[in-house]
Amino acid sequence: MVLDLQLVWNGLVVGSIIAVSALGLTLIFGILNFINIAYGDYMAAGAYVAWAVNAQVGLPLGVAIVVGILTMSVGAVVLDKIVFQHFRSRSPITLLIVSIGVAFFLRNLIRAVWGPSGHFYELPLTANPSVLGIRYSIEQVAIMVTSLVLLVGVYGLLRRTRIGIAMRAASDDRMLSRIRGVDTERLVLYVWLIGGAIAGLGGIMLGLDAQIRPNMGFTALIPIFAAVILGGIGDPKGAVAGGYTIGVLQEVSVSVIPSEYKFGVGLLALIVGLITRPDGLFGEATR
Amino acid sequence: MAIVDLLLVVGIIAGIYSLLAIGMNMHWGDTGLLNFAHAAFFAIGAYTSAILTTPPATGQLATRVVGFDFPILVGLIAGTILAGLVGTLIAVTSVRLEGDYLAMVTLSSAELIRLMIHNEAWLTTGAQTLKNIPRPLDGAVPVSYDLFYFVLVWAIVGACYLLFVRLSESPFGRVLHAIRENDDVPLALGKNTAVFKLKSFGIGAAVAGLAGGLWAHYVYAITSIMFLPSVTFLIWAAVIIGGAGSYAGAIVGATVIVFLRQITRFIPGSVPFGDELAYIRLMVVGVVLILVLYFRPEGLLGNSERLQAGTSEGT
Repeated sequence: MVLDLQLVWNGLVVGSIIAVSALGLTLIFGILNFINIAYGDYMAAGAYVAWAVNAQVGLPLGVAIVVGILTMSVGAVVLDKIVFQHFRSRSPITLLIVSIGVAFFLRNLIRAVWGPSGHFYELPLTANPSVLGIRYSIEQVAIMVTSLVLLVGVYGLLRRTRIGIAMRAASDDRMLSRIRGVDTERLVLYVWLIGGAIAGLGGIMLGLDAQIRPNMGFTALIPIFAAVILGGIGDPKGAVAGGYTIGVLQEVSVSVIPSEYKFGVGLLALIVGLITRPDGLFGEATR
Repeated sequence: MAIVDLLLVVGIIAGIYSLLAIGMNMHWGDTGLLNFAHAAFFAIGAYTSAILTTPPATGQLATRVVGFDFPILVGLIAGTILAGLVGTLIAVTSVRLEGDYLAMVTLSSAELIRLMIHNEAWLTTGAQTLKNIPRPLDGAVPVSYDLFYFVLVWAIVGACYLLFVRLSESPFGRVLHAIRENDDVPLALGKNTAVFKLKSFGIGAAVAGLAGGLWAHYVYAITSIMFLPSVTFLIWAAVIIGGAGSYAGAIVGATVIVFLRQITRFIPGSVPFGDELAYIRLMVVGVVLILVLYFRPEGLLGNSERLQAGTSEGT
């Protein structure tokens, strides 16, 4: 079997989207210590807001994307203030179930406002050029470049800024970081701002690559889960590596299994990952 | 008497969802296991029973090559058993995982099963609807069919309720409760906790399979989009709202949710927001779930001692 470069390219594009989205989810988990089932719906909401600004209001796509990202950034904080904040002292499982309620609310709000059918961003029609036999679109290149810029940016934030260092400390040991004077509530605020923005961006990238539908984020959640677990839950570097791995594996698998089942590859990776490396790609295999 | 007929239909659906909630309550309420695959067990029961009881497909649209024309009782029993077996199988891969990991693996497994149903057209008719599913005693009941089916479904709900309450209070159930509280303790007492978890998963999945069979034989025609993960989440909402750990609560919760959801259909589209009402009702389900968790974490009929259970973090 010859490795089809087109499939690898497609995988890197899908992987970029999964990596970005997984990074946002894992950051939220790292600080708040629960799996946010509504994360996929945050993504969808970001995509829809950007679409509304783009197609309904008629502003350029670039502006629409910024509005979409900012809306989800603020939206995540608002949802925290209204909902999650009140459950912070409860168990992670309670928070997970609360997030199911939030997911129900958001997804059906999207359906009520924008209807159940699919939409596309208004993009100029361009011919898809090819290099070395690989056909690519401008959107795909934009997705990859954006994701690389974002990943480097978040890496810098986590390494170089006070808030990033506080985040990593709290993610490692919340109790200890609080004792050492980290303002947990402010940290939570920043995590939602950043995590919400990343979710919005991930949703918009997903919408650029395919269609904007009310359940688009939820459908994407399973490969994102797979990436997060494969990378070691709460580990940003791992989530990104996991994201690209799952994306490429999924697309390349199409050459050996029917394409309807490529999503099963993510699941398989998830289960194998959990059994062999429960602490993730970069974690120590002790548990 | 149109309203009575409508209430019967909603009541039948509520009964079927109650069975799903009973199964989920065994997993979460009794054993503390986070099962997010319930829609898949429901689907397996529905498709197994439908495939076994419909005649072999013919005609232009028939993409399916199977159909066995078995009696409905055979289909229902087979669907129940197969759902239980698949539930046990999923549990084998994932039951040793910690809470939220289990949630993610079961959710993914359920979607994989739905994907198979959607794509294996030779068996399930794939994306098309599987039609002509026979109804038990169709044309042979002296009362209205919906009344007959309502009584049938709720008789089964009653029987399952009694069975599961007994199970929950039996020595078997007490081990499950111990696992829920802290699975190191029953392990230290020599109980093979993994086997108990597998049994819990299998039994709960089986009753979801039975619900699937009853659903398929009531609605005539089924399609894979009836079994989206949102069904699982609705059942979660039902169990939490009714009160985890209480089988009566599971039934009440499921009934409340089905009424909240289905009653929309009887409101004419001409009222304000008529078209959006279906979505607004589901938004309400989300809000009710959150409010119950906040103001009454033990649920409507749950007991507050159950509250801590299954939520401890490996302490």
